[in-house]
Amino acid sequence: MITASLNAYLILSAVLFAIGFLGVLIRRNTLVIYMCLELMLVAATLALVAFSHYNRTIDGDVFVFFILTVAAAEVAVGLAIIVALFRQRQTIEVDQHDALKN
Amino acid sequence: MNHLLFSFFACLTGIAALGVILSRNTVNAAMCLLLCLGGVAGLFVRLDAFLLAFLLLLVYAGAVIALFLFIIMLLDVRGQQRPSPRGLKQTAGLIAGAVLLAAVVGFIARLESQGGTAGSAPVGASLKLYADQLFTVYLLPVQVIGFLLLIAMLGAIALSRRTPPAA
Amino acid sequence: MTPAHLAFLILALPLATGAVIAVFLRRCGGLAAILSTAAAAFVCGGAFWLALSGSRFEIAKEWLSLGGLTVGFGFAFDDLAALMLVIVGIVGLCVHVFSLGYMHDDPSKARYFGGLSVFLTSMIGIVLADNLFMMFIFWELVGFSSWLLINHWHERPAAAAAAKKAFITNRVGDFGFLLGILMCYWTRGTVQLGDLAAQASSGYAVYTRAIPLLLFCGAVGKSAQLPLQVWLPDAMEGPTPVSALIHAATMVAAGIYMLCRIEPVMVPDALTVIMWVGTATALYAALCALVQRDIKRVLAYSTLSQLGYMVAAFGLGSLEPANGELVTSGVGAAMFHLTTHAFFKALLFLGSGAVIHGCAGEQDIFKMGGLSAKMRLTFATFTIGVAAIIGLPFLAGFFSKDAILYLAYTNNRPVFCVLAFTAGLTSFYMIRLWRLTFLGTARSEAAAHAHEGGPSLVLPLVVLAVLSVVGGYTGLYPKAFAHILELIPEAAGPARGVIVATSLTVLAVGAGLACLLYRANAVPATAGEDPTVLDPFQVKLPGLFGALVALQRSFDVLYQYYIDKIQQRFAMLLNFIDIIGLAGLVVRGLAGVVGLVGLGARAVHVGRVNAYVYWFLAGMVLLWAFAAGLL
Repeated sequence: MITASLNAYLILSAVLFAIGFLGVLIRRNTLVIYMCLELMLVAATLALVAFSHYNRTIDGDVFVFFILTVAAAEVAVGLAIIVALFRQRQTIEVDQHDALKN
Repeated sequence: MNHLLFSFFACLTGIAALGVILSRNTVNAAMCLLLCLGGVAGLFVRLDAFLLAFLLLLVYAGAVIALFLFIIMLLDVRGQQRPSPRGLKQTAGLIAGAVLLAAVVGFIARLESQGGTAGSAPVGASLKLYADQLFTVYLLPVQVIGFLLLIAMLGAIALSRRTPPAA
Repeated sequence: MTPAHLAFLILALPLATGAVIAVFLRRCGGLAAILSTAAAAFVCGGAFWLALSGSRFEIAKEWLSLGGLTVGFGFAFDDLAALMLVIVGIVGLCVHVFSLGYMHDDPSKARYFGGLSVFLTSMIGIVLADNLFMMFIFWELVGFSSWLLINHWHERPAAAAAAKKAFITNRVGDFGFLLGILMCYWTRGTVQLGDLAAQASSGYAVYTRAIPLLLFCGAVGKSAQLPLQVWLPDAMEGPTPVSALIHAATMVAAGIYMLCRIEPVMVPDALTVIMWVGTATALYAALCALVQRDIKRVLAYSTLSQLGYMVAAFGLGSLEPANGELVTSGVGAAMFHLTTHAFFKALLFLGSGAVIHGCAGEQDIFKMGGLSAKMRLTFATFTIGVAAIIGLPFLAGFFSKDAILYLAYTNNRPVFCVLAFTAGLTSFYMIRLWRLTFLGTARSEAAAHAHEGGPSLVLPLVVLAVLSVVGGYTGLYPKAFAHILELIPEAAGPARGVIVATSLTVLAVGAGLACLLYRANAVPATAGEDPTVLDPFQVKLPGLFGALVALQRSFDVLYQYYIDKIQQRFAMLLNFIDIIGLAGLVVRGLAGVVGLVGLGARAVHVGRVNAYVYWFLAGMVLLWAFAAGLL
């Protein structure tokens, strides 16, 4: 039983963020990396809403609108890039995309 | 009861997140993400942000995850190797993640604990309040977001065009 | 046209002539010769007009101003400058006219006359300069034109080496000169000659010994005193008119002139040093002249000796030395001897040029002889020159040399003895030269077919001979030079008798010895073709002869040793440091370090996104720590 305090929400948000970051570091599939990015965004959203609830303001909530919109746009464009990259390299392994080496 | 719900949704979210980064199959990862979003939506409900929970499920889970799945199916990658790379990278990644976590938690721990439950009337319950804020205080970001969406759309179209053969 | 304008024109016209010759008239030797001679004639006429019209002026214009330093350009035309300008004008014109005939068949005449013009303008610059910086600039120009002219026949390695030696030796002296000028400017704040004179009379007491001695270094280099005298004998590689103009009458006299100019900064200690340097030079050069075979070398050593006389005269100071106060130095005696020496030495050199020209390039006196019958006018004028230099009474040299001897007699007996002895030596070697060249029988084919030169060769000789005769009678000089002439010491009382007796005695002894040693049949007629025939001096006194030859060579050997052993090694060490240290370590080392840094930065770009995220995390952690106050 975890007490539902602001700290708890924030720690949960931090854990989600860390997990997402870990995923970016570890995974080699570009799409999964992208999903972990989204995970990090969600974590930030959670923190915002928690703050806005416990401080009795509405600004945090309103900001979530923007985050959602940006995330959507970002996913659209990012996936388009991944598809174009796949067309060029025939692979979505991040390790294979090292043309900028040296 | 409140705390029970919180615990349940928190654990759900955490385990689903772990599932995202650890699952071998990409589709499985997408499904875990979906589950994670569901948990977060529940947490939003608990925080009296009903509209946001609804929006999250609609936009994020509905559109974004769907798009992910489309692309996963489209790219149709075969022969996935093991998700976690060799020993050194794994350890390094774990250490990095741990460092990050420690830093953030350390930061949070210094905050004065707000403790207690939400208490009085929920603030962000009605759409009217959101609309009021969006179109007065945050009008400029709304317009900018509109432009951003336009540009993203144009970008996506431009990126997905096949180069004309006679260019 | 004001006198100042005329003076500027005198300075600028030879320069313009030289420039025109250098740019346009490289191939037209004849036209260049005429142009240059016309410029020299203008200079001579202008000098006479300026001097005799009595106009004396001082003008100054600021030329270069760098911070606190101001280099001015001005003329200080007093009696001293007027006298020197007239000398330069006369001798310059005579040499130009002589060169018309002497260098008539030379293929690179234009270069020669261009060099003469540049030299003339540089010399006039030194004469007219009113501050030490301007004098130094023209000083260097004179050195340059001397190099240019000695190097005239540059195909000959001996000439090229001699020109290099002259320039470098001058440079060594000029280094001291420049240090002196800088020190003068630093301690006294001015290098204007007029200001220096004003300061001296008000009693200035800082670095009083160092400045005149450093400035004297310039005179040591330019006037070939010990130890920088090695360049003058070698400079005889240049054409004979050049030797007459530069190395007898004007350039080497510039050192003496400069000493007279900086007379206000002199102190007794410095004057003593100067006196002894001059005396030593006079003695050394006379000793070396005794054993020379080349006609021009004898005259070169003779010039050295007479320059030593002038420097010693300057150093001897005034007639009544004041106790502990500034003494007026022997400006009068030195300038008087400079004037007369200019005339008869130029005469002697031009005469030797005529002899060389007549004997078709032969310069060894043991291969000449019997020219008195073949070249009558040259013989006559040369004899007058010889008589003047050894101090025969009633000729110019007698009066000027006696003035110096009188100065020595009253101020410093040892110096007097040395100078008297040197006068005897002068008599000996000049008579030796005279007898071997002109008297006796012809000892070679060239001498047998000698002929008199054309009018352009003879006319300057006559003019200079006349001046050598009358140049000693100060009463004949125009009133315009009165200020200088009244500084000349005039022997009086019992001392007068002693001086006259001494000078006549040493003259007779020297001449008698020479006549004895070089009797008519002392040198066989086959000496021209037979190289084993020795100098009678060498035959009679081989030890002394050998010692004198070694003495003459000693300086060159010493300097060569220094250059080979010390300077070359030092130069090679510097070269090593330059190649290894500077070019290698510093330049390429720095480039290598930059390259290494570039390689290192390049290695960070692995190309994989994951790695970049790690870097991102590292940066974030750093910022975090910074924000949290941990850093």
